[in-house]
Amino acid sequence: MNQMISLRGVEKLYAPGKPALIDVNTEIEQGEFVFLVGHSGSGKSTFIKLLLREIAPTKGQIIVAGQDLSKLKSWKVPYLRRNIGCVFQDFKLLPNKTTYENVAFALEVIGRSRHVIRTQVPEVLRLVGLEEKIGSYPDELSGGEQQRVSIARAFVNRPPLLLADEPTGNLDPATSLGIMSLLNRINKTGTTVLVATHDREMVDSMRKRVIALEGGRVIRDQNRGVYGYGD
Amino acid sequence: MAINFGYFARESITNFRRNWVMSLGAVITIYLSLLLVGISIATGIVVNDVVQSVEEKVTIQIFIKDGASTEDVQALQASLSADSLVAKVNYTSKDDALTKFKEQMADSQEIIDQLEENPLPASLDVELVDPREVSSMVEKIKANELFLVVADRPDAPEESLKYGQQIVDKLFAFTRVIRIIEIVFIAMLAMVSLIFINNTIRLAIYARRKEIGIMRLVGASNWFIRTPFLMEGVIQALIGALLAIGSIIALQAAVIPRLKETLSFLVVELSGGTLMQLSLTLMAAGIFIGLAGSGFALRRYLKV
Repeated sequence: MNQMISLRGVEKLYAPGKPALIDVNTEIEQGEFVFLVGHSGSGKSTFIKLLLREIAPTKGQIIVAGQDLSKLKSWKVPYLRRNIGCVFQDFKLLPNKTTYENVAFALEVIGRSRHVIRTQVPEVLRLVGLEEKIGSYPDELSGGEQQRVSIARAFVNRPPLLLADEPTGNLDPATSLGIMSLLNRINKTGTTVLVATHDREMVDSMRKRVIALEGGRVIRDQNRGVYGYGD
Repeated sequence: MAINFGYFARESITNFRRNWVMSLGAVITIYLSLLLVGISIATGIVVNDVVQSVEEKVTIQIFIKDGASTEDVQALQASLSADSLVAKVNYTSKDDALTKFKEQMADSQEIIDQLEENPLPASLDVELVDPREVSSMVEKIKANELFLVVADRPDAPEESLKYGQQIVDKLFAFTRVIRIIEIVFIAMLAMVSLIFINNTIRLAIYARRKEIGIMRLVGASNWFIRTPFLMEGVIQALIGALLAIGSIIALQAAVIPRLKETLSFLVVELSGGTLMQLSLTLMAAGIFIGLAGSGFALRRYLKV
């Protein structure tokens, strides 16, 4: 199988002497579903930002979807991001756009034709179970529904990789379960999914590969793992 | 590309409508800045023309004694004409001088009536290529042997020459200062409007930073994000420039005729061609300010 993500000797310093990540060596293969767990400040967000090339590593090599990020010219970064779907804790929806418009926006701004937009947006909204809410504005939707919109937006372009940074952080357990099963369903279509979370129950119930970070280091990497911190 | 263009046009127009207070602010800023710049350029052009017309009046008159031989006068005229500093040498005969004098004195008939014979000398009027060279030309004339032969008063050569040396020097000092002030003033105004527009557009971008953030996340290219803002900036600048041009045309139509009336001895004029040039300059300046202002403002938000 091909590698989707590969980190070799990656280190990130925000300020001298205070590394956010130290000596990270990890490979994630195409089609995998991986949890990235750890406390606040353990380096999860830095990990995600590095993959998105929002920041550059201080040391080491990162390859995402076949692209060596250290060699990637900055004007090519947008094209890298078209291969990565992104979901965040705070949904990041545009309040003045409807569900349909929010999802269509992601296709519009990468120059997809109207025809493509008209066929793909309803399809992905059906996949996330929101075909009824197509004309609703974000403030008319529940948190879980908003997160589904944001997942639809991340997935509408059918990226090979989906990153989710605390996607259930603002949601109650039942809703979180729905979001996770949706991510699982997306994973079944062949998309690689990486979820950064500190939602213990979720990780324990899903039994997926778990990479645990602490103080910027990978302290555990196991298949069919559990959250596994003592607290 | 056709799809993109439609998107950009739609975006620019909706944004203009949605943020019209902000847009209005930008338009007014550009309008006022360009209006001030335009007025100072127009004033500068008028002043320049006036100064130039005064400068052109700087000539050297050589008075010729009665009874000087025509050959000598013609030889002097020829030798002066050959000088590289000289544009033209005109001969004014005694009779011509008297006619001119009578014309100028038409209001005071009694002075003319008192004249029994023609007291005026004939003269050679020397026009210079560059009026600033008047003193060196005077020296050259004084050194010319033919000048001493034909001069009205060979004993006092200075008296046979007339040129406004002191006036000329003061005039040139004055015009130089005016030109410098003009340039400094325009540069300052341009700076101010650039800063203002940069700020206005920065506010507009700040108001939409969330949208820009999402566009970057889903992989919109930088040019795709930038273009609607740049177009917005240019549209605002163009509207501001057109308003400024309209105001300047209206202003000059109101002011120039009055100036002409009060300053009838000077050439006060703003030709259509000059106005056209000024309009184009303001348009170009507006577009530049709009693009540069939004370009600078955007750079901060588009670092990847």
